[in-house]
Amino acid sequence: MPSLTLLGQALVSGVLAGGIYGLLALGLSLSWGLLRLVNLAHFALALLGAYLTYQLGTTFHVSPWLAALAIVPVFFLLGCGLHAVFAYFRVTEFTSLLVTFGLTVILESVIQWFWTADYRRYETPYATASLRVGPLFIPTLEMLACLTAAALAFATWGWLRFTYVGKALRASAEDPAIAAAFGVNHRRQAYLLSGVSAAYAGVAGAFIALISTLAPSQIWTWVGVVFAVVIIGGLANPIGALLAGFLIGVSESLTMAVVTPAWAPLVSFSVLIVLLIVRPGRV
Amino acid sequence: MISRVFMACRGLVAGLLVLALTIPAGAAPSGTPIRIGGTLALTGPLAPTALLHKIAGEVYIDELNKANGLLGRPVEWVLLDDQSKPDLTRSLYEKLLTVDKVDLIIGPYATSGILAAMSVAQRYNKVYIHHSFGMPHLAKYEMHFPTAAFGPEPNVTLPTTVFNALATTATPPKTVAIVTSKFPSAQFQSAGAKEVAEKRGLKVVLYLEYEAGNRDWGALAARVKDAKPDFLWVGALGLDGNQMLEAMKKLDYTPPRHFHLFPAPGPMVVAPDGNLALSSTVFEEHAPFLNNPGAARLVPLFRERATKANVPYPHVDTQVAGSFAAWQVLEAAVTATKSLDDKTLGQWIRANRVPTIIGTLRFDGPNNYGDDLFKVKQVQDGKWVVVWPKEFAAPGARLLPP
Amino acid sequence: MSGEPRRVAITLVAVGVGFVALATVGLPAFYESFLYIIFSWIALATSWALLSGYAGYFSFGHGAFFGAGMYTTATLTTKFNVPFLWTLLAAGILAAALGAGIGAVVFRVKRLRGELFGLLTLAITFVLGTIVLNTRIDGGPGVFLSAVPLPRVLASPTGTLYLLGLALALGTVGAAYAIGRARLGFGLFAIHDDEDVAEVEGVPTFRYKLVAFALSAGIAGVAGGIHAMYVGYVTVGETFSITVPLYVVLMSVLGGARHWLGPAVGATLIASSLYAFTGGQQAVLGRAAVALVLVAVILVLPEGVVPAFLRYWRAWRGRPRVLEAARTLASVDGPAPARSAGGPGVALVVQDVWKAFGGIQALRGVSLQVGAGEIVGLVGPNGSGKTTLINVISGHYATDRGRIALGEVTLSTRPAHEVAALGVSRTYQIPRPFAHLSALDNVALAATFGAARCSPRQARAEARRWLEFTGLGRRAGALPHELNLHERKFLELARALAGQPRVILLDEVLSGLNPGEIASAIGLIRQIQAQGVAILFVEHLMRAVLALSDQLVVLNEGEVIASGSPREAMRAPRVVEVYLGKSHVA
Repeated sequence: MPSLTLLGQALVSGVLAGGIYGLLALGLSLSWGLLRLVNLAHFALALLGAYLTYQLGTTFHVSPWLAALAIVPVFFLLGCGLHAVFAYFRVTEFTSLLVTFGLTVILESVIQWFWTADYRRYETPYATASLRVGPLFIPTLEMLACLTAAALAFATWGWLRFTYVGKALRASAEDPAIAAAFGVNHRRQAYLLSGVSAAYAGVAGAFIALISTLAPSQIWTWVGVVFAVVIIGGLANPIGALLAGFLIGVSESLTMAVVTPAWAPLVSFSVLIVLLIVRPGRV
Repeated sequence: MISRVFMACRGLVAGLLVLALTIPAGAAPSGTPIRIGGTLALTGPLAPTALLHKIAGEVYIDELNKANGLLGRPVEWVLLDDQSKPDLTRSLYEKLLTVDKVDLIIGPYATSGILAAMSVAQRYNKVYIHHSFGMPHLAKYEMHFPTAAFGPEPNVTLPTTVFNALATTATPPKTVAIVTSKFPSAQFQSAGAKEVAEKRGLKVVLYLEYEAGNRDWGALAARVKDAKPDFLWVGALGLDGNQMLEAMKKLDYTPPRHFHLFPAPGPMVVAPDGNLALSSTVFEEHAPFLNNPGAARLVPLFRERATKANVPYPHVDTQVAGSFAAWQVLEAAVTATKSLDDKTLGQWIRANRVPTIIGTLRFDGPNNYGDDLFKVKQVQDGKWVVVWPKEFAAPGARLLPP
Repeated sequence: MSGEPRRVAITLVAVGVGFVALATVGLPAFYESFLYIIFSWIALATSWALLSGYAGYFSFGHGAFFGAGMYTTATLTTKFNVPFLWTLLAAGILAAALGAGIGAVVFRVKRLRGELFGLLTLAITFVLGTIVLNTRIDGGPGVFLSAVPLPRVLASPTGTLYLLGLALALGTVGAAYAIGRARLGFGLFAIHDDEDVAEVEGVPTFRYKLVAFALSAGIAGVAGGIHAMYVGYVTVGETFSITVPLYVVLMSVLGGARHWLGPAVGATLIASSLYAFTGGQQAVLGRAAVALVLVAVILVLPEGVVPAFLRYWRAWRGRPRVLEAARTLASVDGPAPARSAGGPGVALVVQDVWKAFGGIQALRGVSLQVGAGEIVGLVGPNGSGKTTLINVISGHYATDRGRIALGEVTLSTRPAHEVAALGVSRTYQIPRPFAHLSALDNVALAATFGAARCSPRQARAEARRWLEFTGLGRRAGALPHELNLHERKFLELARALAGQPRVILLDEVLSGLNPGEIASAIGLIRQIQAQGVAILFVEHLMRAVLALSDQLVVLNEGEVIASGSPREAMRAPRVVEVYLGKSHVA
């Protein structure tokens, strides 16, 4: 029987890992829910952000926080650019998967072209720092990522709920024709949203650089679990994405603490399956 | 003592022989090129390490062509990208043999791909030399020749070597924790480590398997910290070991001794917690390895090429050296038999010992495996140095205790 | 067999014979392998499209069935020494059973459509992969099949796999074609556009989805079994990765997911592109180039390669636009089936029906009766429960309490498609035609699945008849979005009639029409009545209600507050109070 400390530590670890999932899921959830476009390239963008953070940090000794700040506007523009392509070709939800898959492979190749396929690791002095709370340790970097995820999730929720732009976006997603009749400039909102979504990817990327492995094919390791988080949390539901991230992170982590860790995906995805079938409504 | 001198002399002679064979004998190679076909995972999840094999092959071929080529003819490496997919690997080898009609083949990167193409080599009776196969008991083709010098039972011999090395320290470990990826070759050897440990009277306080591609290391780290082992064996691939160490450090814990199975070498030496990490190797860039056949020439060339290609850790170690050894075996066989006929080459390789950059290789054991040439290395002062067995240790180096 | 089916069958057989001849004559081994890989992907992509392309239920779980098949063959051949070909049968059956099992649970839950279904199927892939990885089935080291004997049919060792792959590919494409033309396909296309309406029109949606899913899974399982032999060393990491689920989607979308040949074309294109640019020096750039081409193609041809090609070809040939579902307008031959007159007195009986949604009681003890050839008008203020009542009668909602019967046969315990098959039809207040089916096909669907149960050819003849009847004869080939509101309303009507119903429920069929159109609609309704159909007629337009109805039922807040002859019912004090306010009760 594992000790309480072990379980507690696993819980902490799971929540924090879930924060990263939520952070990655945030942009995807927004663009899928409000623009009705499945953007697989979100993951490639995140990894690109990670590599840029790494490069800025190792070559130019820019701290990751500054790097993130520099990356956000660039990615915002990238997101707008991406949407320009979607809008011009009138891409639908159906075809967006194929288009963004192609873009992901292109981005992966670009990353490999510049940084080679070899593993890279961004070493920072605070990588191993952690806060001590009683018998438990809370790693600082992961906690920061989690807090950022929460802050962004709440900010986004507030933005969608209380501002004109947010309401306009939600209206357009529900019924574009009527919203347009009420003067909602869907096109402008869509660009804004696409940019924000990409910016979130960049922020997630900065944390990935600090916490995880860098290799071009790493793009694909996140796809499965983040899709799960997005859908459980509900499309365009920022807080839902965060909570779903916690759910999956914790279920995986607790499993790893108690039984053979390789069983972890079974538990998290089974929980998901049961939830989907049994739950009467959405979160 | 005498045997050691004898071995050194033999090595020297062999080295001179190889050197002599490759000294430019006047004219540059001419005539129709000899085409050697192979694939590598140039894209996909196996690309990080396959990249090193690509550079190693290019360096070797260039050197061959600068000298006398093979049998006086230039050598061309027909390299294809198998995208880390075994089914693609298999069909590409069929393409190389039946459409491109290459003269000889050389193996791809990593166990699954090598196995997939082995059946093709078998069908066409081609000599099949490969450099990165991790499960010797699965290789049943009689003309396959491995230069990943694990010996026929790596799941026994490698852990034995490691534990022998640890036993030389003042306080050998009494308890062991094993945390391994479920990547087939890693799991295979880590499972062996468990058995060996138990047979030696060590207590295995923890045995964990995680899925390859694991993202969350916190729980694993917590379990290791809880188990408080004297020695941690990480069946790691790539950066798994780094992530484990980091995750444990976040819990304010460092295991007294830790060994990593297949780590990415570069990141481990620069990792803040990587100091005194142990791993295994067949080659490091120091004596006596630098005296091995071909080392003096190939090592600086690889470093130059790899740096130019933007590789973060441009040094020759196990993977690259294994690759060079594969080419060396092929070259030695062709040169000695003056033939490109696979049957002839295969017979020669099986009957002879080939001096290579990783040592003298023989292929007459079970499943064509020979000696286990793996040594134990350790990160000391930001560099990997071999620490065991003593004959191969870097000058003045020994396994440093925690 | 006539016309198109015969041509397709001959072509498929010819292609098959051609490829077999090619292999017998002797192909370099690489081409055999290359073609085998293409055949394998054709089978995988086409089988995926059976459910996901035709019915629109995007499954991301195709990898689970493929993996199940791979490991079935791997386990049976290595651990139990079962001959390889038998293991393929087992692989197919196991995978189909898995698909059926999952479908049986998931398809019952109405909520689990769209992305939820996709996620669920993806999750199942990971669950299955983890189970295989951690149990004796694999356990980690992988399963090595090279020692398994492979029956030799042709000279080359890959030959058997090549032939198996060819047979599977042709069989799957043929099945996709056959299904697309059969009842099953028709129903699946309808489910794609509007599942609830399809169910109400008589399509047994649950059964059809289950069959399509199980078949799709079974084929993937067989493909997996064959592939296990091809690769020779099966590991969880390679089998249960995201490659198969993702690629089958991409291939089908590229080629055109609703066309039987689309996934095959997409699979050929994408699988071949894997081999382009494999040259060592440009591997990375080559991959990017291929992806770029893919993106360009789908941006320019969003409906898919095959539909786009067909469109251009037809435009070039000058033919009139043909229907999206590739159904050709065959000439009407054979007499239309005689109209079965319902027996005298066959009536719709609604007895004390209660229905609540959460806290809202929508229907309270509603009772009414409609006899054959009788028109009962149903009126009431907005929100009184009229549409709910229609939904309950048609079987879209279950009753909480009470009984609905058609003559002696109880309807309220049956699913909606059975209710439709027994002869109950309805129209929708806001027309809900099947968006991707032509007007003709919309109506033909009802004829196929309604009480008439026509064969596909008869159904089209019937459909033409009813389109003529409602004045839409010339618009038979048009898609719903090309029709104006009046035409769409009449399409609803034609669709409701084509099923040869005994009872028709008309939900505000006149709203939004101009006076001329209203007059012709009323004429149509009278003609329908003359044929002995029982009509329940919900309307706000009082003039029409009073003119047409033999009886009137007034609903308010879910309760019947008056019923009887129109004049009587409208004068009842309670009715006046509800409509005009208390002060008007005089």
